[in-house]
Amino acid sequence: MDGLCCGPGYASPSEAVKAPREKLLYTIAIYTGTGIQKPDYLATIDVDPESQNYSQVIHRLEMPGIGDELHHMGWNACSSCHGDEKMTRKYLLVPGVRSNNIYVIDTATNPQAPSLHKVVDGAKIKSKTNLSGPHTVHCLGSEIIISFLGDAKGEAPGGYLHLNKEFEIVGRWENSMGDIPFSYDFWYQPRHNVMISSEWAAPNTFMPGFDLEEVGHLKYGRRLHIWDFEKKKPIETMYLGEDGLIPLEVKFMHEPNSSHGFCGAALSSNVIHFWKSKDEKWEWEKIIDIDNEPHPDWPIPIPGVMSALLVSMDDKYLYINNWLHGDMRQYNISDPHNPVLTGQIWMGGLLGKAPIVNGVKVAGGPQMYQLSLDGKRMYVTTSLFSTWDNQFYPEIKTEGGVMVMIDCDVENGGMKINKNFILDFGKEPNGPSRCHESRYPGGDCTSDIWL
Amino acid sequence: MKKITIANRNNTIFKVKGTKPLLSELRSQGLDLPYGCQYGGCITCAAKLINGEVEQKSQVALNNRQINNGYVILCVARAKTDCTFDIGVESHDNLYRNPFIDPLAPHELKADIAILKDSINES
Repeated sequence: MDGLCCGPGYASPSEAVKAPREKLLYTIAIYTGTGIQKPDYLATIDVDPESQNYSQVIHRLEMPGIGDELHHMGWNACSSCHGDEKMTRKYLLVPGVRSNNIYVIDTATNPQAPSLHKVVDGAKIKSKTNLSGPHTVHCLGSEIIISFLGDAKGEAPGGYLHLNKEFEIVGRWENSMGDIPFSYDFWYQPRHNVMISSEWAAPNTFMPGFDLEEVGHLKYGRRLHIWDFEKKKPIETMYLGEDGLIPLEVKFMHEPNSSHGFCGAALSSNVIHFWKSKDEKWEWEKIIDIDNEPHPDWPIPIPGVMSALLVSMDDKYLYINNWLHGDMRQYNISDPHNPVLTGQIWMGGLLGKAPIVNGVKVAGGPQMYQLSLDGKRMYVTTSLFSTWDNQFYPEIKTEGGVMVMIDCDVENGGMKINKNFILDFGKEPNGPSRCHESRYPGGDCTSDIWL
Repeated sequence: MKKITIANRNNTIFKVKGTKPLLSELRSQGLDLPYGCQYGGCITCAAKLINGEVEQKSQVALNNRQINNGYVILCVARAKTDCTFDIGVESHDNLYRNPFIDPLAPHELKADIAILKDSINES
C-alpha cells in the first residue's frame, strides 16, 4: 500500500523520503490533570492544504475511561515487515502512562475516523508481567515491545512488555535488566545486533511532578545502556554523568548500516552522540551543549530542557527542542561529530521571545514533534506531561496546548513557522486539552526500522 | 462511622467506615473523583485536607512540603476522624511549584530522602 513491495513501509529510508505527502495526522490530546473530567483522546488532524478542513481537528476518538494520560504511541508494523505480505500498518498502539492500559486503534478501516480495536488491560499487564508506566512502542518484525518505567508498584527499573501480533501478552521481552536502574526510551539497529535504552526515573518519582533535588539524590537517570538485541540483555553502560542528566529520547540514524545515534539529555540540555568505533567499541561524546539562559524571576538560569530529538529520514538533519527556552533547532549532521546549527524558530517558552504564534497565545514550549518523510514539514506540540506542565506552565490548564507547523529547508537548511497552519487546543469542544505526540498513517520519522 | 465533608462540592457529606481508602469509599457513594495508579504513587487523586486526620503512610507521591500544605492521596488514605476536604484539580493550588524558583529544603523532600530538621541541628 505504501511501498514498492508487498508489506508495510518502505524498502529503504531513501524510498520512504519519496512517499506521498501526509494528509492526516493522529495526535494525542489529554484531559488528565486538567480538572476536566473527560477521557483523553486521539485527534485526527487534516493536514491536506487542498482540503477545506485544513489545519483542523476532524475527528476525536475518546478512550473508554478517564485519566489514562496518553503520551507516546507506535505502529503495529513498520518497514521492518516490508517483505511480509501478511502484515499491514493498520493499528496504532497507544499506552496510558497512568492507567497502564494499551489501546489498540484501527486507523485503516476509516483513516479519518479511527476506532478502538482492542484494549490490553492495564491490570492484566501488572498481574502477568509486574510492569507499569508504559512509554515507547516499537514493532519488532511482526511482534511488539513496549518499554515500561516501573514495576506494578511504580518502582524502577521496569522492563519490556512483549505482545504478539494479535496484541496478546506474551510476557516480559527481556531476559535480564542487568543492573539498569531506570528505563525510558529505546531504539534498535538490527544489523549491529544492538539496542540502546535511556533513563528517566521511576513512575513514583516523575509522575507526581519534578523535584529538582531528587536529581542530586540519584532518583533520575544519567546513563545509556547498550543491549545485545538477540540475547535480550544489557551488556554495557555508558555513564554520562553531569553531561547526561535525564537522558530521554534515543534515535539511531535511519540508514540500517549506520551505528551512529543520538540522545537528548533533558536537564543537561546536551545532545549525546554515540557510535561503534572501528575496533567494535561503543563510544560517546557530547556534541551539542545548550547554555542555560538568565531570567529576571529565576534565582538560577533556566535550562533548555531538551525533552525530545528527531533525525530526518535522509539522516541529514537532527532536530532538538528546548521546552523551557521556547526554541526548536535544526542541525546539519552530515558529520555527526560536528553538528552545524542551520535553523531555529521560537514558539512560547519562558524567555518570552515568541508568546504569540499566528495569532494564538502559546502556553508551554516546543515539546513533541513529528517530521514528514520528505523532511519538509514539522508538526510541533507544546505539552510535556500533565504534572510537569502544571509546574512550569500553569496557564496551559486554561489555555490548552497548541500545534504549530514548521517549514524546513532540506536543501540549504533553515526553519520557518508556516503562517497558514495553527491549531489551538484551547478551543476544543470539551474545553482546553493538551496535545502531545503525532503520527502519520503512512509512517513517519520516529517509527521505521530496517532489518 | 466518620463524616467526610467535601467543602468545594457544596459541603456535601458522606459517611465512611475508615477501613478502606477514601477514594474507594467515596466513589462507591457516587462522588466523581480523578484517580490514576491506585497505589499512592501518581498524585492524580490528591485532595486538600482542611480539617481532620488521615493515615496515608503508604503514599509515595507527596513530598513533605505538600503534606504540610495539607495534601492527601485519596487512593491510599484512610480517615481516622471526621474530615473536611477540597477535592479535584481545583484543590491543587499549592500542589505544584516551579522547582527552580522555589526549591525544597532538605526536610521538605519526600519521606525516603528527607533529612529531618532535628538531625540537621544535631550535625
